[in-house]
Amino acid sequence: MPFVNFATREINCKIVYYGPGLSGKTTNIKWIYDHIKPENKGEMITLATETERTLFFDFVPIEVSNVKGFKVRFHLYTTPGQIIYQASRKLILKGVDGIVFVADSQEERHDANLDTLDDMIENLEDYDIKIENIPLVFQYNKRDLPNVLPVEVLRRDLNRWNRPDFEAVASKGFGVLETFKEITRQVLKKLKK
Amino acid sequence: MMLNLRPEEDKELREILTSIADESKSKIVLLIDKSGQLISRSESPAFSSDDVTFASLTAGNVAASEALSKLLGDKSLNHMFTETEDEGIYMIVIAEKYILVSIFDKVSTNLGIIRVKIKKYYDRLEGLMKRIEERAEKESSMPADINIEDIDLDTLFE
Repeated sequence: MPFVNFATREINCKIVYYGPGLSGKTTNIKWIYDHIKPENKGEMITLATETERTLFFDFVPIEVSNVKGFKVRFHLYTTPGQIIYQASRKLILKGVDGIVFVADSQEERHDANLDTLDDMIENLEDYDIKIENIPLVFQYNKRDLPNVLPVEVLRRDLNRWNRPDFEAVASKGFGVLETFKEITRQVLKKLKK
Repeated sequence: MMLNLRPEEDKELREILTSIADESKSKIVLLIDKSGQLISRSESPAFSSDDVTFASLTAGNVAASEALSKLLGDKSLNHMFTETEDEGIYMIVIAEKYILVSIFDKVSTNLGIIRVKIKKYYDRLEGLMKRIEERAEKESSMPADINIEDIDLDTLFE
């Protein structure tokens, strides 16, 4: 649910990075956080286990000032990818304005991609959100690894709604910004309607 | 639904939150929504923590506790309390969608006082949020003069 405050002239939107375990959701928002100017970001919060697996969520607040006197705030969240955290994933989706689905391009992780996509659709339905109506971007991550599926296969199996999609190597920052720009563009466009 | 606040509503909200903070001797009183966005806060210049981050963590905390309470067969969670060495954080759900948070110094006040003072303003706050929702539902909330092309994300990065 976007939130607009006309008194403080702020617009707030929530963007969630969703995907199977170890697909690179945290790597995406960490890269964004590390490359953003200090004056445009708040504190990054990571609720992770000792082995750096996301336990509940990661959070990065980003602020774009001075858009016709308005401040636009994007709150980026990641979900915990591991299967056991199904309940937590659903909680993070509450009030979501846009989703980045981060898929793992490796062949052996494709089933996990498909299962996670089904899980996401189900969780959205519980909030009365149809996947057709929500801003959504697909990212095929880890393109630098040797055993990746062709993009056409990933696109056919995952991106059934023909949404914008990007290849990425999030650990090197490749494709991260393009993905982020596209989802913010869609979220703002929907807000405008 | 998209929530938006008009300046006069923002002012009234701030007045209520500031009254609760003053009367209960809280350090700060915040109103956030369950998705983790900060909606308003009391006039508490001394409170310097990052309130945006605070809002997102509080919403996560309440969401997890609510899910726990459902798992136990209860319908919903009404309020919760977290205690640190020096401070108390009291959270109460308002109109099912919002969370009112009081952060207080345990030396200056106590949970009982916080709850009594929130109770005094609870109905007024709930009524105001419902009025805002009803109005917001009827009108478009995106500022008409904002153009998506004006938002240059490249300037954000180093």
